[in-house]
Amino acid sequence: MTSIIARNVTIDFPIYGTSHRSLRQTLLARTGGLIRHEGQGRQQRVVVRALDDVSFTLNNGDRLGLIGHNGAGKSTLLKVLAGVFTPDSGSIHLEGRVSPLFNSAPGLDPDDDGYENIKTCGMFLGMSSEEINRKLPDIVDFCELGEYLELPVRTYSTGMVARLGFAIATAIEPDILLLDEGLGSGDARFAARAEGRMQALIQRTRILVLATHSDAMIKSMCNRAMLLEKGRLIAIGPIDEVINRYRESRIESSVA
Amino acid sequence: MRPDYAIARADLIDGICAFRVWTRLGWQEVKRRYKRTFFGPFWATLSIGAFIGGMVFIWAPLFKTDVSSYLPFLSAGLVTWTFATTLISEGCGTYTGGTSIITQLNFPYTVLNFMVVWRNIIVFCHNVLIVVIVVIALKVRISWQTLLLLPGIIIVALNGAWMTILLGMVSARFRDVPPLVGNIIQILMFVTPIFWFSSQLGPGAQPIITYNFMFHLVEVMRAPMLGTAPSLLSYAFTIAGLVIGWLVTFDLYARFRRRIPFWL
Repeated sequence: MTSIIARNVTIDFPIYGTSHRSLRQTLLARTGGLIRHEGQGRQQRVVVRALDDVSFTLNNGDRLGLIGHNGAGKSTLLKVLAGVFTPDSGSIHLEGRVSPLFNSAPGLDPDDDGYENIKTCGMFLGMSSEEINRKLPDIVDFCELGEYLELPVRTYSTGMVARLGFAIATAIEPDILLLDEGLGSGDARFAARAEGRMQALIQRTRILVLATHSDAMIKSMCNRAMLLEKGRLIAIGPIDEVINRYRESRIESSVA
Repeated sequence: MRPDYAIARADLIDGICAFRVWTRLGWQEVKRRYKRTFFGPFWATLSIGAFIGGMVFIWAPLFKTDVSSYLPFLSAGLVTWTFATTLISEGCGTYTGGTSIITQLNFPYTVLNFMVVWRNIIVFCHNVLIVVIVVIALKVRISWQTLLLLPGIIIVALNGAWMTILLGMVSARFRDVPPLVGNIIQILMFVTPIFWFSSQLGPGAQPIITYNFMFHLVEVMRAPMLGTAPSLLSYAFTIAGLVIGWLVTFDLYARFRRRIPFWL
């Protein structure tokens, strides 16, 4: 049974190497988490509360879209679910294999050739050697880089690197898929194929969590939505309701 | 910060079990150094070799020894020194160098540390060629004690492993640490008997050597290469360093591991 149970998740980002003065303007900003100053004098630290007491449960079949302003905590929440950040308080309980799809190719090295990078990135994404070997024909076939795979990645065009990264990253078989919007995917023809492959990947996964600013994307891919604001969970539920709520809050903040 | 020993232990065990990943990454890095160059990692070997070849004729008379006994001592010492200190200085960059993956994925960070250690063992295997050539050319006595080189490498590598974790963490948080470590290593190079024999320092100054951890670290590898056994004192120091170093590092890792992605 695949599930995500988050209980009162709170996360504080300590900010290093920033003078307090330069933060004055940030303090007045309308977006982002709550910024606090802890301690006195030289001991003073700047802390950003990125997630504040967030609780929710997701089960098999849930496709959740995260909505909110820049810095509302969408990406932070994805990273907490990915296990990159451990909550300061509260707990996360995950059942199933988790795959994050933020930057499409973790550990990609420009001096290595395509095949070497498929191996390295695959390993970082948690695939075994056998699994990588099994997926190799599919990855090679999908990225359509042909003989370029024998050349160092630094010789690739930006679009070609994106293709390779996308082909590797979407070869995984996760139970829980975490998706941050804006996965680069080459030219128009490739983008259409990428769309299809992404849909297939989403079909295979049991739970999807997607962070995006595109209402259309949420409507086509998700069946639930969550609105975050300054690290707090404002609403979770049916997509239309949550999107409306978000629009209202946008109007409020522009009036204020 | 409250230590979370379960997480530190899991990271360490998973890291060791992922030996396929870190051996591959270590090799890959060495292979990259071969690409587009003729000598690849042997460039480091050549530069150590050239340094030794140039300096031996100045220092041997300066330190009043003959070249045939000074040359093996200098080359074995310098190659070992390079191994140990590169491990330490590269260790500072373990986590800052892994920023892109640490901030995106959940994986045992110790994989990165073991990768650094493994890569440096491979590079050492290149550099040791200098010692082999010198030993053969000057017919240095090879004995059973030479085999002690293997445990010597293991002791230095395991000491290096905790140092890369500890320094990797401290350097990620305090960015002044890597240049500071670089400076300290430079000073230690002259304080440690690499260029001069420990016997040449008068009896009054011996504590400088006796309590120099780096000296013992060098000794457990250098002595076997010269066909002799390291002193028990050197073993005592390096093994004690290994145990204490790992215990302290493990405790700090348990406290601060979760902070590492925030520091990057």
